[in-house]
Amino acid sequence: MGIRSAFAVMAGKFTAKILHILGRGATSLPGVVTLKICPDVLGALAKNIKVICVTGTNGKTTTCHAITDMISANGYTFLTNGAGANMLNGVVGCFMDAATVTGKVRRDYAVLECDEASLKNITKSFKGLDVTVVVTNIFRDQLDRYGEVLTTLDLIQKGLAFVPDATLCLNADCSLTSSLAESVKHKKHYFFGINCGFENSSSTDISDAVYCIKCKTKYKYHSSTFGHLGDFYCENCGYHRQKPYIAIEQVKAFKPASAEVTMSIDGKSYDTEITLPGAYNLYNGLAAAIVGKTIGLDDETVISSMKKLTTPFGRMEHIPLTDKGVELILVKNPAGFNEVISFLTAHCTGEDDILFGLNDNSADGTDVSWIWDVEFEKLSVRIAEITNDKQTFFFTGKRGEDLQVRLKYAGFDTEKFRLDKDYRTLIQTIKSTGRHTYMVLSYTVMLAFRDKLGEVVELKKYAR
Amino acid sequence: MDKIKICHLYHDVLNLYGDTGNVITMKKRLEWRGFETEVTDLSFGEFDLSSKYDIIFIGGGQDFEQGILTEDLFKYKSGWLKEQIENGTVVLAICGGYQMLGNYYITDKGENIKFLGAVDIYTKASSPRMIGNIVYSTELNGKSPVAAFENHSGKTYLGKGVSPLGKVVKGFGNNGEDGTEGARYKNVFATYGHGPLLPKNPVLCDSILLTALKAHGVSDLSELDDRVENAALENALGLYG
Repeated sequence: MGIRSAFAVMAGKFTAKILHILGRGATSLPGVVTLKICPDVLGALAKNIKVICVTGTNGKTTTCHAITDMISANGYTFLTNGAGANMLNGVVGCFMDAATVTGKVRRDYAVLECDEASLKNITKSFKGLDVTVVVTNIFRDQLDRYGEVLTTLDLIQKGLAFVPDATLCLNADCSLTSSLAESVKHKKHYFFGINCGFENSSSTDISDAVYCIKCKTKYKYHSSTFGHLGDFYCENCGYHRQKPYIAIEQVKAFKPASAEVTMSIDGKSYDTEITLPGAYNLYNGLAAAIVGKTIGLDDETVISSMKKLTTPFGRMEHIPLTDKGVELILVKNPAGFNEVISFLTAHCTGEDDILFGLNDNSADGTDVSWIWDVEFEKLSVRIAEITNDKQTFFFTGKRGEDLQVRLKYAGFDTEKFRLDKDYRTLIQTIKSTGRHTYMVLSYTVMLAFRDKLGEVVELKKYAR
Repeated sequence: MDKIKICHLYHDVLNLYGDTGNVITMKKRLEWRGFETEVTDLSFGEFDLSSKYDIIFIGGGQDFEQGILTEDLFKYKSGWLKEQIENGTVVLAICGGYQMLGNYYITDKGENIKFLGAVDIYTKASSPRMIGNIVYSTELNGKSPVAAFENHSGKTYLGKGVSPLGKVVKGFGNNGEDGTEGARYKNVFATYGHGPLLPKNPVLCDSILLTALKAHGVSDLSELDDRVENAALENALGLYG
């Protein structure tokens, strides 16, 4: 570590300390300060650490969390950033937190959630290091920012180009993601996927990749899971899904907080339980499993780790606001929201209220039209069967009214709607019902709402 | 009375910004008033050229599919679609669908891409993209201006026989220069407004529906309880108007 980078680290740590004293848990400012003084500080900090980058549209945070669960259970030390700090500043910030005053970082692994557009700024510093990159999937996300899915794919390619020796862990079921295996020059790549499709999988109408990326012919599917994910193939040019190294072979049962599955690793079958809620999280469990294999864990260790995974901040996080508690669920884009809809359709009863919250700040997406690509109709049919007089649908956020319209046109009973934009009074209202509530919130609603919940109940502390 | 038939053209490609919400909204508002309604998704390939619809809806899409889309348009649908427009079928076209009805599109490299030529407009690529909430006035939405969201890089210019759909109050509109937004020609309603457009602009939705229903001898529509829709409109206007 040179003098300049050592000084940069000190300045960054000093900034973090000041922020801490001021009671502000900001995550990016220390990184900003450090980078100002020494732009290539990250490479110096990461020199002796194995780096695992996780990028893709959905599941980054849950996958990182699952990876850290697994590596810490096996005795390794790590540092990690976390949601909201997944750009260069945040990544630098988390290295600095872990660094000594002289800029040494004594950790085995860095598990880094990387925003798709920021990946290249991050991997640029990791040339020549031991790097693994996980790409979870590519869906439409915050369109006002990235334009379209191919732009996202291109950004990830640029990020991968900086680390040509990296090991890639790719979602086999995503035709966009798996195309990376051919479009970049990396020799080591492993695929993960789900070999059994799901019934009731989302209709192709909302698919984000209908036409073959190579020849623009419509894909066909042997089976499908969510959106455009599945066992795809192109009849015209022959582009098709790669055989996964790690796969779900069969789902025996979905429970509210886990799934009993048969998994295969390199052709060998194992029964296990993946302790993450919702069918969509199976992919995140698989991504963690494949990282486990690439860092040298044996099959049995990986399989048993699946039973001990936990969910991160705001991802089906249980909070004891009422006797029955409430569940916080973050939604960021149509694909993720549709997965939440599938979960609610399977598990919601007449005894559950639901709060929907939507903002249109830049971190939420300034264009709220995406809620019309979410299949509320599916949930509405289910609700009509199970609802009772007590059930209420709460709405909040700057654009809560837009959500009310969306649900009305999906067939929900507007008599059960209740809009309240004041988080404090809303929390008191929900507390007074004593009922179990699913709270489905966009990003900035989640952050602010959770803070207000913290005034009423004790919350788990998360790095964010 | 016959079923009201809505055609969702290129539903699986021009589906980028929740525009399908317009189809959901038209269908629901017809059904709530007792009109039996049928939505037909019409995508690539051959189809029955004698097909007639009361409303044809065309949404916005991403650039990747534009090539295959224009190919299909000229191979199978251009003659049919022009004829429908000339015969007075109601067409609601948003963003990419709007541009596609025009004469041509000039790319940033100066290439001229031929479009349908059903409405006398043309579009020229520009930079930076025009993104954000848009508010525009049109008598079709009653007393209230329309609240929507625009996201386009093309600047559209109207020809002589085409009038704008509205006047920009906030935002860019057709080209960010002449204050016009969207286009009206025969029974074509074209706009850059996503959001989607119709759910929180129920009066505009009903104006379009009524235009289509005239062919069935319907001259007015019963009122609906639009409190939820109007609350969303007022909220958006309050934030961005």
